[in-house]
Amino acid sequence: MKKFGSKRPRRQAAVAGLAVIGAISMAACSSGGGSGSGSGTGGSSGGHVTITVGCEPPKTQAAQRKFFVQDIALFEKANPNVTVKGDDTNPCDDPSTFDAKLASGKMDNVFYTYFTDAANVISSGQAANISKYAGQVKSLGNIQSDLVNLYRQGGSSSGDLYGVPVSNYTLGLLYNKQLFQRAGLNPDQPPTTWDQVRTDAKKISALGNGIVGYGDYSAANVGGWHFTAEMYSFGGSVVSGQKASFDNATGMQVLKNLQAMRWTDNSMGSKQLLQYNDLPQMMGSGKLGMYVGAPDNVTYIHQEYGSSYTNLAEGPMPGDGGTLLGGDGYMFNKKDTPAQIQAGIKFLNFEFLTPGAGQFNFARAKAAAQPVGLPEPNIWTAGTAVAKSTSSDEDSNATIPVANFTPYLNAAPNMKNDIEPPQAQAIYAQGDKVMAAVLTQRNANLKQLLSTFSSQVNSILANQQ
Amino acid sequence: MAAIKSVEAGPRTLISPAQLSRGRGKVIYWVVLCAAVPLFAALFLFPLYWMVTGGLKSPSEVIQTPPSLFPAHPAPHNYLTAWNDLGLGRLILNTILYAGGALIFQVVFDVAAAYALSKLRPLLGNVILFAMLAAMMIPATVLVLPQYLTANSLPFVHLSLLNTPWAIWLPSVANGFNIFLLKRFFDSVPADLLAAAALDGAGPFRTLWRVVLPISRPIIGVVSIFAAVNVWKDFLWPLLVLSDPSAQTINIGLYHLSNGIPEDVFIAALAIACVPTIVFFLFFQRNIMAGLTAGGVKG
Amino acid sequence: MTATEVTDVTRRRKAGGAIATRPAGRPRYGRKLRDNTSAYVFMVGAIFCFALFSWYPMIREVIMSFQKTNFAGETTWVGLQNYRHIVHDPSFWSAWRATALFAGLALVFGYAVPFVTAVVLNELRHWRGYFRLLVYLPVMIPPAAAAFLWKWFYTPDNSGLFNAVLHALHLPTSQWLQSPHIAMLCLVLFSTWSNMGAAVLVYLASLQGIPGELYDAAEIDGAGLARRVWHVTVPQTRLILSLMLMLQIVATMQVFLEPLILTGGQSGTTTVVYLIYNYAFSFNNYGSGAALGIMLLIVLMGFAGAYLWLSRRSEEG
Repeated sequence: MKKFGSKRPRRQAAVAGLAVIGAISMAACSSGGGSGSGSGTGGSSGGHVTITVGCEPPKTQAAQRKFFVQDIALFEKANPNVTVKGDDTNPCDDPSTFDAKLASGKMDNVFYTYFTDAANVISSGQAANISKYAGQVKSLGNIQSDLVNLYRQGGSSSGDLYGVPVSNYTLGLLYNKQLFQRAGLNPDQPPTTWDQVRTDAKKISALGNGIVGYGDYSAANVGGWHFTAEMYSFGGSVVSGQKASFDNATGMQVLKNLQAMRWTDNSMGSKQLLQYNDLPQMMGSGKLGMYVGAPDNVTYIHQEYGSSYTNLAEGPMPGDGGTLLGGDGYMFNKKDTPAQIQAGIKFLNFEFLTPGAGQFNFARAKAAAQPVGLPEPNIWTAGTAVAKSTSSDEDSNATIPVANFTPYLNAAPNMKNDIEPPQAQAIYAQGDKVMAAVLTQRNANLKQLLSTFSSQVNSILANQQ
Repeated sequence: MAAIKSVEAGPRTLISPAQLSRGRGKVIYWVVLCAAVPLFAALFLFPLYWMVTGGLKSPSEVIQTPPSLFPAHPAPHNYLTAWNDLGLGRLILNTILYAGGALIFQVVFDVAAAYALSKLRPLLGNVILFAMLAAMMIPATVLVLPQYLTANSLPFVHLSLLNTPWAIWLPSVANGFNIFLLKRFFDSVPADLLAAAALDGAGPFRTLWRVVLPISRPIIGVVSIFAAVNVWKDFLWPLLVLSDPSAQTINIGLYHLSNGIPEDVFIAALAIACVPTIVFFLFFQRNIMAGLTAGGVKG
Repeated sequence: MTATEVTDVTRRRKAGGAIATRPAGRPRYGRKLRDNTSAYVFMVGAIFCFALFSWYPMIREVIMSFQKTNFAGETTWVGLQNYRHIVHDPSFWSAWRATALFAGLALVFGYAVPFVTAVVLNELRHWRGYFRLLVYLPVMIPPAAAAFLWKWFYTPDNSGLFNAVLHALHLPTSQWLQSPHIAMLCLVLFSTWSNMGAAVLVYLASLQGIPGELYDAAEIDGAGLARRVWHVTVPQTRLILSLMLMLQIVATMQVFLEPLILTGGQSGTTTVVYLIYNYAFSFNNYGSGAALGIMLLIVLMGFAGAYLWLSRRSEEG
């Protein structure tokens, strides 16, 4: 069950205006009538409620942390009987300890999960069933139903509800416009096929001076995560019908493409075994032309490395297949009291689901010179009133050159969104080995790598049944 | 120290002093010495220099080719950022707390047990001794999974020790090597000494406290050093049981921080993390080395 | 080994002491009861900790290895399935190979280098404090910090310290941790650097215990430098050398931090303990992790047994 970094671990970090945040808290008692919903705070009404909420931005992300702390204060002021404590554990969701923490019941009252965790958390019985309180989740009906269903029993709309999605992303191709220009490429026209990626990467790395055309991961589970994304982009899948489904021509295409860029073109640099933050760091220091990433990486790069965000642009995921969709949400510790669950929902409503507040407080982000105007998160069903008001608010406060994301946005409606495979984390851990072999060994035996990986995935899937 | 003095007095080692003080021997000796001094500096000091200056570089200077020997624009604020934002102080304090607690628990429980096994010789004492020494033969990592599950939910009471100091302190007591060292030492305490105490009417506790402990200071020093060093160096166990960042040791904290902060700040954090033990070592160098070698030789 | 000797000696001594005390002692039985009670009071803390974190986990490890157990589902008995599962995992043999390779290389570097260093340092009459201080310095660095430091030194492009130095000297640079051929060597070099200080100090102390007359005598017999090392130094430190050898084999077979931090288990550096960790915490398969732990235990016990047998034989011979 590990989740693997469904999205990128960064995400938490990445929180930025958009991404995620967590908070923490715990329960206690006191104070009376909840200001907010006041829907019977259950037995402890008249009592004070303390909740811990996961994924508070760490201190290294000063602006995001400040916003989060401000939001807690605002929320507590409006809800004097609730105390919210943020948990700034970073990364918010560490695949290697997630299950253990889950089993030990040490999760926050309102705990952070990747989309890929949800099914396992539900089946482990460690999360509270919040179906009774579903009516209290703000605009639940306006959140894309595919996302909500990830947090339902059995993944279908008829299942009981166990959590609330708060952020989502789809991968695209993040690139540096300035390097495109210097390499004689059109900075407004990112590559849309892998062949073009290869050609452009070659030109960019020809700039020399340590500049890398295209970068990719091969360690700490993000290697497997990108392998999966690239399978999708070539129209393939990773798991189909509880069996590995990548040991085929599509899988070979993914690896051959990387092998050619790494060894034939030498356009991927010599430093490999990269982990999540390596590519944003290279991008932030102007040494990287392109990599596969979600738009919120722009915020992360700006926050962590202080680099300007005007040069960063995003194109669609190359290839004629689909793109990987991921995201995160919150679930509730099964030990939570009804009062804690309701207080938690109120906080999620405030922080993540209210236009103009919390993660959608674009005016505040703009005032703090944070990137505003990124095409994610994008949790609302298109065409709903809340979707419209959110996006017009965002547009009017935009600080980024919105045009930088036009190629990504234009392609989005026709792009198939593929969710991550079951047991994603475990699969990604094995996928790292394939990526690492291709990127560090000239003439790696691709067929053999795929077949070993495939048998490992089958055994992971069999073990979980 | 005694050893050093006696060496200066000229005891014979592999090569005779006479050989070293004349002719070819003398030349070779000085060549080797003059090569060894800078070689040791390059091997053991230069990496630390590289770390400290790396923490003063800008993110782009850290990854520039070729690297610079001196930071172009020293950025001491990296150290401030690392200290203020990464909670290093907390991590270091935690580690000191764990090491100190483990030291106390080990000394109290293991000394008492080893003394009882050596001098009081209770019924089934040999069985217990065997079981404790057998534990020494079982490599720690083999047992991490069941130990982890045990710490996660103690038998019968179903308490979880995870993210509490107990998860470090209690397992550290189960150290067969301590029992072995201490019992061997107590075995060598002359029985006449204890008999004399018994004649004076001292019970086992007073005998331990007034007679045995005062002469056991060296071995207790060795056990203490091992106890503190083990906690300071341990990785796998605290990685498993301390998932809460406010409870982590410096090793585990660094491991978790490594993913997601700029490299220059991280390098500054590494440098800060090295300070407490190195300072401690410089202050107590002689005692530590004397203790280690004394314990080592006899072990 | 030495433990037996010491115990024997003490027993004799103790017997003598007992005879001396008896005339003045209290009634034997009352004293025995009192001693037993206070002995168990003395031992209760240690017994509690051993029971909880050593004896019980040992039993549980064996039981777990025959169970399918993870946090999500129920625990069921599966017989030998965990063992079969592991043996058929393609990572199984490569993990053993990686572990053996690490242990083997560590023997060459981690074992020989500190001993040779100690022998040389023991001859140097100047700057003794300086050498000891420096060689022990890395031991005082938190291991995770040291590992990250070296990971940075090993950066495969020319911004890395090692490659920059090689490049400046016009020597070929290396891919270090990314190269399946030398990644393990890189781990061993790091491990030697960070741990050798302790071994050097132990050897130095042991070398200083060698009586000078032995060297004098050997010299009179016409023994050159090499023969003096072989016939005096090595035999005189044999006990400590063999003990350190066993300790080191057992320690290196459990290597975990180095592959975790330096390579993430890539480049063929997934060791057995790393695989146990992965089984439990990446694949949520505690049973197979436990089964692999049992196998590791058997191998390590084999080494310890061989050591005891050899050292006993050499004592007799």
